[in-house]
Amino acid sequence: MATTEASGRKKLLEVEDLRTYFDVEGRTAKAVDGVDFFMYENEVLGLVGESGSGKSVTALSIMRLIPNPPGWVERGAVRFRGKDLMRLTYDEMREIRGKDISMIFQEPMTALNPVFSIGFQLTEALQHHKAMSKRQACERAIEMLELVGIPDAARRLWSYPHEFSGGMRQRVMIAMALSLTPHLLIADEPTTALDVTIQAQILELMLDLKQKTGDTAILLITHDLAVVAETCERVAVMYGGKIQEVAPVEQLFSRPGHPYTRGLLTSLPRPDRERQARLQTIPGIVPSILDFPAGCKFWTRCPVKEKVCETVEPELVEVEPSHWCRCHLVQPTATPGGRSK
Amino acid sequence: MSGVSGKSQGNILDVQDLKIHYPVHAGVLLRKVGEVKAVDGVSFSVKAGETLGLVGESGCGKTTVGKGIMRLINVTSGRVDFTTKAGKTVDLVPLDRGGMRPLRSEIQMIYQDPFSSLNPRWSVGDIISEPLDVHMPGLSAGERADKVAWLLEKVGLRGEQAHRYPHEFSGGQRQRVGIARALATAPRLVLADEPVSALDVSIQAQVINLMQDLQEEFGLSYIFIAHGLSVVEHISHRIAVMYLGNLVEIGPAREVYAEPIHPYTRALISAVPLPDPALKRPDRQRLQGEVPSPLAKPSGCPFRTRCPQAIASCAEQTPPLVEVSPSRFVACPVVAGAGG
Repeated sequence: MATTEASGRKKLLEVEDLRTYFDVEGRTAKAVDGVDFFMYENEVLGLVGESGSGKSVTALSIMRLIPNPPGWVERGAVRFRGKDLMRLTYDEMREIRGKDISMIFQEPMTALNPVFSIGFQLTEALQHHKAMSKRQACERAIEMLELVGIPDAARRLWSYPHEFSGGMRQRVMIAMALSLTPHLLIADEPTTALDVTIQAQILELMLDLKQKTGDTAILLITHDLAVVAETCERVAVMYGGKIQEVAPVEQLFSRPGHPYTRGLLTSLPRPDRERQARLQTIPGIVPSILDFPAGCKFWTRCPVKEKVCETVEPELVEVEPSHWCRCHLVQPTATPGGRSK
Repeated sequence: MSGVSGKSQGNILDVQDLKIHYPVHAGVLLRKVGEVKAVDGVSFSVKAGETLGLVGESGCGKTTVGKGIMRLINVTSGRVDFTTKAGKTVDLVPLDRGGMRPLRSEIQMIYQDPFSSLNPRWSVGDIISEPLDVHMPGLSAGERADKVAWLLEKVGLRGEQAHRYPHEFSGGQRQRVGIARALATAPRLVLADEPVSALDVSIQAQVINLMQDLQEEFGLSYIFIAHGLSVVEHISHRIAVMYLGNLVEIGPAREVYAEPIHPYTRALISAVPLPDPALKRPDRQRLQGEVPSPLAKPSGCPFRTRCPQAIASCAEQTPPLVEVSPSRFVACPVVAGAGG
């Protein structure tokens, strides 16, 4: 498997045919059902989708954090710097987590231990993964807290998570996640619970730190297309446990291919444009994860579906350079493209 | 400030100098040690058929204003003049539970979380007909069932779904049920507190369109409380911006969004992400720090501790809302004085 693209950028992560299933009262919920995408080193990739699309399960699968039971990775490969994470032992994976791949969550309290000071939690990882002395680890921890904008960091080091506001806790999480300078940071809805001015601060901080700390790539999982537009280089759109479209942000927002992507974009209010009397909508509701249709996952809500869509699932096809789309009705525009991914 | 909340024809709600303070007790004797001024002198009005968007970040007091108007909590001082269908204007503040009850049919509420605001043990029909039982006890069982079916159809559900339970519906459908319940008593004013924040993007648009259709059909007035500025700008005729218990700016939605005057409004709008990567926003400003705790509210202008344009006199008194151009009010002498 080549890890270098024609563009010369090296691939950091390659997810191939990932399938993660859950047992729900005797039925199998295919939360992630054949996900394919890759990430370049040092890039910011947005993974967007609505609730139940499988975006968070994709992230947890990459981290090998799917609770079993009820869930399991049915099949698929997650190649990270050439190594298939799905084949690693528990201990090997434990070494990768935090050091090479770290993750931040929507609600920092799910990841911060309420009974330990943040200083303890920050230094523990540094001592374990980087073999630092306690003193070195403390210095590094203070440095990280200063970097994420915690005022009076040296004193705050021994504060407990509940002593911080929501925005400050998210900063602590980011400090913790980036203190080991991982190759990949998975951020699952990191700003969804925050106010808009704090969201702007946190997103800016993440991108700023990425510059400062080196080569960390970011997988930004969100439901918010506006956040993607402002922070990501490329974006992957998920629906029904599958990637439906992948493209550089400029292309996806200016020439969305998939009817689902188009629907999402037109259903957003646009205060920066002329006012519409009504918002465009996507008809119907997101089906339950147990009830996605055969054929294309989106055909039950698709305004342009044809007969073939009801039975045959389309492939993810490169419709123009670097732009893949999973739709029978969107075909390659340029002649040399069109290879199946 | 007459235009902000002055009595005028066609206003259905006039809120004047509304204050909602909570005492803070501490120590063994639970002595009162301070006060949280959750709402500290807020004035605005809502016209018939109008949507007023009330925006601000968490802790700014927007939800408390809503609860105060509904009299779900005690109001410290101020007036809330509501004009009934019969054309009578009543101040809601001095009313007790019994006094509020007949008015509740005219002021209804839609909540954020469609999962916790519907009783899971009741069928959707029971949920929607409960307000009918209270406010229209004369209806026969058949009339009530007809009314429930009619309401369900009005919000885009099917009449026969009245027998189903909330867990059988998706989030968006549950919010439709919440809207049907609010409409059951034919209210004049609906307070919607973050009605679409919990919904997926594709469903959000459906519910917003529904609310607009219903407004047109029934001539409803909305107070739309939300932190998502893009949505508020879309649905509202006017926007009121709150910060730490005070209104800092109020005006027509498009104008406030396109040309915000108050430094806080400017920072807030500049922080709103937009779904367009081609958009360059060089004039973007970032607010430093966080909203202070309402327990330690700054003296004078509540925003002065984070304001890039603050001057010494900002600490002296809370600036009143002043009309800087027709129908635009701003509580900032620094920018208002500069010609707005």
